Amino acid sequence: MPRLTIDGREIEAPAGQTVMDAARAAGIFIPYFCWHPQLSVPGNCRICVVGVEDKGGEWIDIACNMPVSEGMVVHTNSEGVRQRRKDTLQFITLNHPVDCGICDKAGECTLQDYHYEYNGERSLSRDAKNHETKHHALSPRIVLDNERCIQCTRCVRFTREVSKSNGLGMQNRADHSLVRAVEDGSFANDPYSDNVIDLCPVGALLSPSFLHKARVWYLKPTASVCPGCARGCTVNLWHRRPEWRLRAPDMRAQNESIDRVTPLENPAVNGPWICNKGRDLAKLLGRARAEGAMLKGRAAELQGAIAMARSLIAAARKPVALVSSWGSNEELAAFRAAFGERLDARVKADHAPEPGEVVEDAILIRADKNPNTAGAKAIFGDAPPDIPKDADLVLVWGEGLDFNRIPAGAKIVYLNAWLQPENGHADVFIPISIQTERSGHYTNFAGVTSAFAKCFPKPAQAADAETLFASLALAPGGGP
Amino acid sequence: MRHLVPEFEKLKERYPAGFEASLVLPCLRRIQEDRGFVAEEDIVGLVDYLGVPRIQVEEVLSYYTMLRRKPIGRFHLQACRNIACSMRGAEGVVGYLRKRLGIGPGETTPDGRFTLSVVECLGSCGTAPVVMVNEAYHEDMSLEKLDRLVDELAAAGEGK
Ligand code: SF4
Ligand code: SF4
Ligand code: FES
Ligand code: FES
Repeated sequence: MPRLTIDGREIEAPAGQTVMDAARAAGIFIPYFCWHPQLSVPGNCRICVVGVEDKGGEWIDIACNMPVSEGMVVHTNSEGVRQRRKDTLQFITLNHPVDCGICDKAGECTLQDYHYEYNGERSLSRDAKNHETKHHALSPRIVLDNERCIQCTRCVRFTREVSKSNGLGMQNRADHSLVRAVEDGSFANDPYSDNVIDLCPVGALLSPSFLHKARVWYLKPTASVCPGCARGCTVNLWHRRPEWRLRAPDMRAQNESIDRVTPLENPAVNGPWICNKGRDLAKLLGRARAEGAMLKGRAAELQGAIAMARSLIAAARKPVALVSSWGSNEELAAFRAAFGERLDARVKADHAPEPGEVVEDAILIRADKNPNTAGAKAIFGDAPPDIPKDADLVLVWGEGLDFNRIPAGAKIVYLNAWLQPENGHADVFIPISIQTERSGHYTNFAGVTSAFAKCFPKPAQAADAETLFASLALAPGGGP
Repeated sequence: MRHLVPEFEKLKERYPAGFEASLVLPCLRRIQEDRGFVAEEDIVGLVDYLGVPRIQVEEVLSYYTMLRRKPIGRFHLQACRNIACSMRGAEGVVGYLRKRLGIGPGETTPDGRFTLSVVECLGSCGTAPVVMVNEAYHEDMSLEKLDRLVDELAAAGEGK
């Protein structure tokens, strides 16, 4: 293995590795725009230049495409390197509008960061900047601000190398180059398209659903797991920081909503990507919630409903349970601990593929649209979610069951978070908390377990599932 | 485009397998030579024939300004505006053509006879200013020579 020196540190790096990779492995930072660990190396932005000592002088070249060699002495921050980066930034910003004040990327834009780090000067150009359209729809999900694009081609390469939709390209050339979607409209069908929004090092690619919604420094990410399919991609759910809570009385919806979803890099599950369904979790998890407990469709007190459910379960001779594949491992274990073998429990699918949704592909998307089927089956086994004809009580946990499958005459105890017509058809209905209101773990189809954390308090009318099961299982009249 | 496939097959022999994308440019050139421009059906046909993603054909088409996706006039006048031509009066040449033809760069006369383009160096700086008419160079252009040229073309156009 070649030995080299980077910024005075002796490093050993595998032959063929680039200086960029070797430096990163050693924890030495080199700036980059066009380079990305999961994409090919085009070497077009030139911000990653480093200096290599040579006969008392130094030559300068890009680190992302420079293989390491024996005895190489590299400087990532010499006078010459800093000057070259400064010059490069002058070119990159030649036609850039510098409209950070109205740019969603401000605060997490590498062009901003590098400008403060390496340039800090106003433009030296006396020529007028080129102007371009600022809201070009690449698809219904993505708008492009042509003026902010620095032509790094990360987005284009993503569609060629990762999502393989070949949906984006670079049109025209030189200072009138523009990123454009292919004319046959197929970019709109790329189920991974929104990853280009994170990939874009500047604020050129934007999500209409987040556009001008919030400055990123008012938001905080909570680590979570996408429940959209059995892949269980790890994600960051971004929501308002408590200290920046909006204080007007009607602001609860804004303070306690998911403003955007980004991938939480995880080599064991999803790498740095997620699919568009994961981006839309605000919609999936923001559906209307069940308003309160009910007894045969009539509003009831939560405690009263719990007591009623408990006595129904205690009285049943052949009680059956359909447990939720959206329950966390903790909730599933609590269910098992509470009821033991008393209930004939089977795992049901809460969600099936929606019309128009990609059912399965070779990248991330799995056909099972539930996050914790594996975790649930590990506890309750693999029996199909059939309901025996002689069941006299069915406890249904989670949405998605066709109530026509429940034998006539059997009592129904229903635990569900959402406002749905079935709720009123149960003998006892109890609203429960959802993923963002508790922490827990899901186990994905490959057996990898990932954690999610709580973002918001649960609504007062909903019961916390994990503690609910214990109170449902107590013998009537017994214990507190 | 289909009738050019035997020619494309010959071209293909010059490239190693797996380099179909490299054939996009020569194929587009040949298509334009044949039809005068590149039509939608040519793009679809080429994508199908070469098996390259459509976006790559669109990129090549937009990168090279000499490739066209719309028909143009019978006589394509391309006036150079680069440095040598400019120093020897290119601005006057373009101005005169604008006036005489009644169209701006990028436009075609309503009778479909003339299209005017302003282009970068045509590689004939020694004989600046230069105007191309279709494939032919017209050099050392003065306003009188331009006048005569347009007259001749107009007359040739009548004859047709
Ligand atoms: S839109 Fe963003 S990612 Fe795409 S080329 Fe421009 S700067 Fe790069
Ligand atoms: S692949 Fe599945 S788990 Fe991952 S983001 Fe998409 S729906 Fe969610
Ligand atoms: S990161 Fe090396 S050239 Fe862009
Ligand atoms: S500048 Fe006009 S031909 Fe070169």
